[in-house]
Parts: sequence; structure tokens; C-alpha cells
Amino acid sequence: MKKKAQVSDRFRDFDANLTTRPWIVLGMGLRRFEKFFSSKNKVMMGLVVIIYLWTLAFYVLLGNSEDYPCRDFVDEYKSCVPLNYYGDLGSQAGLRLFIISLAAIASGGMIGNDMANKSLHLYLSRPISRIDYLIARFIPVFLLLLMVTAVPNLMVAIAMWSDTGLETEWITNHKWLFVDILVQGIFYSAAYSIIGLTFSTILKKESNASGAFFLFVYGTSIIAETFFSILTAFEIDGSDGVLLLSVSHLLDMISYAIFDAKYYVMAFGWPWEVDIGGTEVGVVFTFIFAGCCGFMYWMILQMEANK
Amino acid sequence: MIKATNVTKKYGGLKALDDFSVDIPEGKIGVLGPNGAGKSTFVKIALGLLTATSGEITVLGEKLTKNTTSIRKRIGYMPEHDCVPDEMTGVEFLIEMGMVSGMSLAGATERTHEILGHLRMGEEKYRLIGEYSGGMRQKVKLAQGLIHAPELIFLDEPTSGLDPNARREMLETINGLTEVSNTKVLLSTHILQDVEMVCDTVIIVKDGKLQMHENVEKIIGEKSNFIQIRVGGPVEDFISELKKKKITAEDDGRVLIVPYKDDSTYDQIIDATVKSNCLLYEMERTTQSMDSVYQEIVE
Repeated sequence: MKKKAQVSDRFRDFDANLTTRPWIVLGMGLRRFEKFFSSKNKVMMGLVVIIYLWTLAFYVLLGNSEDYPCRDFVDEYKSCVPLNYYGDLGSQAGLRLFIISLAAIASGGMIGNDMANKSLHLYLSRPISRIDYLIARFIPVFLLLLMVTAVPNLMVAIAMWSDTGLETEWITNHKWLFVDILVQGIFYSAAYSIIGLTFSTILKKESNASGAFFLFVYGTSIIAETFFSILTAFEIDGSDGVLLLSVSHLLDMISYAIFDAKYYVMAFGWPWEVDIGGTEVGVVFTFIFAGCCGFMYWMILQMEANK
Repeated sequence: MIKATNVTKKYGGLKALDDFSVDIPEGKIGVLGPNGAGKSTFVKIALGLLTATSGEITVLGEKLTKNTTSIRKRIGYMPEHDCVPDEMTGVEFLIEMGMVSGMSLAGATERTHEILGHLRMGEEKYRLIGEYSGGMRQKVKLAQGLIHAPELIFLDEPTSGLDPNARREMLETINGLTEVSNTKVLLSTHILQDVEMVCDTVIIVKDGKLQMHENVEKIIGEKSNFIQIRVGGPVEDFISELKKKKITAEDDGRVLIVPYKDDSTYDQIIDATVKSNCLLYEMERTTQSMDSVYQEIVE
């Protein structure tokens, strides 16, 4: 009896010693990130391995430090390795297909599953706000994508530097390279994470959200490129604007701007310069991503109010 | 414990809470009302999940303002609907909920095993929640609300969808766990027996308004002593005779209900029957439960 009473006292007087909101959010994010590496996520791990092997084969082993990071491609156009990395599989040995597939799979059930099984209500009954919850769900996808964007690109840069014999002059000549690679990686990772989470919120079912995300990114790209080619063939002014309808082109435009390179699109076997003002790109980007964040917040708010 | 002053919550044109004011004392409190009465809305406002359109609410001495989250460190919540993920084990889920509340891994693990022990969950706590019965899922849902040792727990329809045995077990569990954990309870339900079994005080809500705020024992004590009478003959004369004896009889269409004061009430009834030339078919002392009090208020 005495022992039982002691257990009850300890239970009653339990001090939970709760931490603060930022740590709760970070903890939620990191635990989810850790789950990506469980044996249940074989497809995701397979994609990560492919991305690293591809990077090793095409960018490290076949890479040339003399052409790194950029070389003149044709006329005034530059071909930059960190930009090609996010390009298409065939033409630039880019990894876009794998990165988008990974983003689609990782983000698909992130919020949708919580909404479908209604555990979202339990998370929001904790000492975190709706925005905290969204950040906690953003962190794992973002970190995973960072792992396949900025990290391999930085590895390539370091490999190229080591190819030159780790000369300090190389670093001073490319002093912004590492920062640019990091900014570019953060930018792509954040953008794809937000789009993925938005689809997860809209569709709730993991497989549907992943599929829709993939089709949205590739589908809009194909449609925009087709219209761009037709309008360019007929020499119609303002054909460039069509490319803003494609998320991947929109992101590429900003990525090229980070590397101070002119953005071009291949049509009829020739690079066509895309001349869209930074303000227009900025406005469209802000509109899309602020809209995505606002929409996710609103969906959660609606679900909460309606049980 | 909770003080609401002129709280109104509107969803478009619909008022879920209408100028709702109540001062709820500490203890085990039942919020009773029919579906759509505004119980869940009140609970969500008290949790800081919803913001009242107007009015003021104070929970555990903390005034809730827009985007209040800190109060949730001191409150646990068990929602009405099924909301536990099938793909996690009971232990994993509770540890995760503990850590989302702000506990350390070690603290959450220790508390998880203690709570599941109190809930008499053995090896099944390591099974996937998807394989649990309805009663076990409810237990896990209750446990997640208590994981961070809150001062107060909101239980929203905790027995909904349970069979009678599971219902009784859940109510006993609530009583047991709240006693050993020293946690105050706010139980929102439309099942009267749940309130009778668990709560000290009841508030009855209808159409977003407070209808009653009373001690459960007092209600049952005050309203439980009645004598049910069935007579034949001139009933009006019989009622008049009772009135002369300062006894008020209520005719519910089938029987007459007379308040019981003491055993002399029986003699007075018999006397009134004789004087009014009525035949006394039935005279039985009855108890009025929360059920009839609730029906009276709601209908």
C-alpha cells in the first residue's frame, strides 16, 4: 500500500518542466526529418542515393575545374554547373526530376495526413500556434530538400576547389560562389516545400497530393514552354510572360539572377533569351508563395472551426 | 477556474454563443446541452483555439487574448472525434504528444508509461493504434490530454461512440485518473449520466445561452423527492383538497406529482383522497434524476 501511495504521489506531483515554443517547433520538425530515414521510406532514400550518385558521376568525376562554375555557352549566354544541376535530365544532366519527385513524396502526407486523421486538432491544442505548426511541418521537407540541393552543390564546389590543389586564390576568385550556392539551395528547397505542403493541405490524401504536386510543376512547365515556342515562332511580343505561369521557370529565373546569368529557354534548338523584369518576377513569386502560405493557414483555420 | 463575461461567438449569421456569462468554480464541471448548443465552441474559446467575437474569458486566472497559446501548457484537451493516428503505437503517439507539449524525451517517456499503467494498458501499448478497439482509442485520447500534467483538462464528449461497458470503464478511468493526477475536469457532453457520474457542478447550455449553473448533488437532492399519485374520480376536487393542505400537485397528464416533505405527506394525501371522494390507485415515492431536470430546462 505504501509503495502504491508513493507512485500516486509522484504521478500527482509530476513536474512536466515544459520548454518554450521555438524549441517545441524545432523538435517537431527535426523528429519528422529523422523519420524520413526510417526503413519505411525506401523510395525516398532511394531517390537521395540516386541524387548523390548522379552528382558524384556527372558533376564530380566528369566535372572540370576549369569550366567551373560557369563557362560561356553561346554568344553572351553562360552555362553554370550550379544552374544546370536544377535543370532537366536529358539536356543538362540536371536533377530536377529527382528533386521534384523527392519533394512530392516527402511533402505529400505532411499536413494532409494530420488533417485526414484529425490529429491536427491535437497538435493545435498544444502550446503552439497555427503558424508554428506550419513551420514545424515545413522544417523536415525543407531540410531534406536542402540535403539534395545545397549540400551536393557545395560538395561539387569543394571537389572542384580541391582539383585546383586547394588554392586560396581560387576561393578569392569565387568568393560569392559558396554563398550563391547556399542561397540558391535554400531558395529552391523552401519554394518546393511550400508548394508541396500546399498540395498536401488541399488534397489531404498523400498519394494524390504527391501526384498533383508533380503534375503541377511539370505540367505547367510543359504547357508554358509549348505556348512560348508557338508565340516565339509567330514572333508575338510578350511571349516571355507565358513562362511566368510555370513554377519551375519562375524559380529558375530567380536562380539565374542569383548567379547573375541571363535566363534563356531552349526552343527550336536555340537558346532564347527571356527578358522579364525583376519586379514582375518578384511580384508573381510573392503572389504565388504568399498565396500558398495564406491558403494553408486558412484551411487549418476552417478545419479547426468546423471540428 | 473559468470565467466568461458576455461572450458571443458568431459563425456568419449564426450565434454559437450568445452573450454567455458564467463563473465556473474549481472541481469537476459538466457542460451539458443538446447537440449544437455551443458546448464545443465554449471549450475551444477557453482553449484559445477560437477567438470570441466579443466578450472576455479568463481561464485559470489567465485572461485569454488573441493568439493565446501559453494557457495550453496548463490545459489538456480530449476532442470529441477520433483523432489518433493509426500508424503509430500508443507509446510513440503519447511520447510525441508529450514532446509537442514541451516535455523532454525522458520526461515524456516516463509519463507515458505511468499513464498507460494507470489506464491498465499492458503490452497493447506497443501495438499500432490502428489495431485498437474503440475503448482503447478513447483511453489513448484521454492519456494524451493528461500527458503534460495539466491543471485542467477539457473532455469533449469522452464517451461518444462507446458501448455501455466501455462507457462505464471510461468514466471510471476519468474519475480515477483525475483523482490521482490532481487535474480539474471540464466535461462537455449531452449524456446526463456522464455528468452525474463524474461531475460536482453542472452548467446547462442551450442555443448558446447559459440555462443553469448548479451543484449536481444539490440539484438531485432538491428535485429528487416526489410522490407519484394516480387517482380515480373528481381529480380537480382532490387537487383543491391538497391545496388546502398547502401541497401543490402537478398534473403531467398521466399521474399527479406531489413533493415529498416527510412521511406525514402520505397521510395528507390519503386524507385529501377521502375528502374528495377519489379512489387512490397508486401512491409511490419517486426520485427525479438529472434527466428530468435537463428535460425541463431544455424543452
